[in-house]
Amino acid sequence: MNEQAGGGQRVRLVVSWVVVSALLGYGVVQTVITAAKLFTH
Amino acid sequence: MLSALDRRHTVAPPGYSRWLIPPAALAIHLCIGQVYATSVYKNSLIAHFDTGQTAIGVIFSIAIVMLGLSAAVAGTWVEANGPRKAMFVSACFWAAGFLVGALGIATKQLWLLYLGYGVLGGIGLGIGYISPVSTLIKWFPDRPGLATGLAIMGFGGGAMVASPLSRQLLSFYDPGYDPANAGSTASGSALVWLFLTLGVGYFVIMMFGVFNVRVPAADWRPAGFDPAKVAAKPLVTTANVSAANAVKTRSFWLLWVVLFCNVTAGIGILEQASPMIQDFFRDNGTSAVSVAAAGGFVGLLSLFNMAGRFVWSSTSDLIGRKPIYLVYLGVGMVLYVLLALVGQAATALFVLLACVILSFYGGGFATVPAYLRDLFGTFEVGAIHGRLLTAWSAAGVAGPLIVNAFLDAQGKPGTLTAAAYRPALFTMVGVLAVGFVANLLIRPVPERFHEPASGRDGVEDAAQPVTAERSGS
Repeated sequence: MNEQAGGGQRVRLVVSWVVVSALLGYGVVQTVITAAKLFTH
Repeated sequence: MLSALDRRHTVAPPGYSRWLIPPAALAIHLCIGQVYATSVYKNSLIAHFDTGQTAIGVIFSIAIVMLGLSAAVAGTWVEANGPRKAMFVSACFWAAGFLVGALGIATKQLWLLYLGYGVLGGIGLGIGYISPVSTLIKWFPDRPGLATGLAIMGFGGGAMVASPLSRQLLSFYDPGYDPANAGSTASGSALVWLFLTLGVGYFVIMMFGVFNVRVPAADWRPAGFDPAKVAAKPLVTTANVSAANAVKTRSFWLLWVVLFCNVTAGIGILEQASPMIQDFFRDNGTSAVSVAAAGGFVGLLSLFNMAGRFVWSSTSDLIGRKPIYLVYLGVGMVLYVLLALVGQAATALFVLLACVILSFYGGGFATVPAYLRDLFGTFEVGAIHGRLLTAWSAAGVAGPLIVNAFLDAQGKPGTLTAAAYRPALFTMVGVLAVGFVANLLIRPVPERFHEPASGRDGVEDAAQPVTAERSGS
């Protein structure tokens, strides 16, 4: 049984993508809020 | 201790998911992309050091120059030592840059900020930028554009994360600081804490990448992948070319010109985005576009710059690298002409044209590693990429120089109109035309530059450390 065969790898995959998605999502949401000023001002 | 980070200790065991590699690469690029968010605390640094725009602006310039230099110089070292050690070294330099920078702010020694964020951080930037590229290409031989597009999208996204985060952290550390007020500046201690927080935080996130990254085993192939199908495409080679030999080829320098032209044209808009939209819609000295709306335009450009990196680079997997650059450069020329001639007709039209142009700018960055893979193979593609990034450094100087020289000749900032931008925009059309022709001239690399066939199918390198001697021509 290697390190990636079981649920360990699945957890690692989920955690990795959640971390980078959260970071990127935070940036995108904040930038969308800023970009919205183009249409509201 | 560092030997545990060596390439030979990071070969993936059977069954290791290749989808762990893109988030590992993103963890690095999302952090180092912060370099494009330095304007957030620029005024606070000016006030703290009681100095001018140039003295603080040069910190960013040093970092970008060091990015190009370190990527070019350390590229072969990155290939030889593998992505894990490269990412670790990058994280150390990047974090040390913030910590030494914090010391400089705390002691009011500006030279320490130059040395820290500029030199040390810049080295971290260069090594970090190229560290996951060749690994991604080896894990995704069937979709290299998608893989590198994902990672390099992170570099664009890094600034989008760092800008609001830095504003919020400065407000937290200095309650008197109002990020909504352009005239408000944060205290020196808030800047010190910001640098310490970013340094430590980025180091931790980059360790995610160090922890997860692996190189594929020698005999590893994605399920259902047939290398013969890839090699059958025009301009895609199964041979390998060393970095030392690549720079002797005509195709390398033609691609250098392509990247230089694409980046120069894009930076022309990116650098001037906020005043440009206000100037295009100025009537009787007053702009119809408010400062806040112009800031929104800059935000929208960032989104398209980031999205273009993923969307266009992934598209290149389907239509090929040469055709996608013909789109970036050829359609880019048409868009620049439209921007110059009819951009002032409506705000929506101006925004649409600029956004598509910026998506091509991002796409150009993200697609180039896959183009290099097609031309030179996977053997030292990271090192070749590092050398090619000198085009970025050169364009970073040329783009703003061209635009600012034309605009200076047209009048003072705040008094310009759409007509003042036409000479600069038409010059960019010429720059893109040069890139378009250079792209058309790119041909497969002659056989005399190829590495001997044995042990050079690219993927095999994963299991065996590539020594400096092997990389020589």
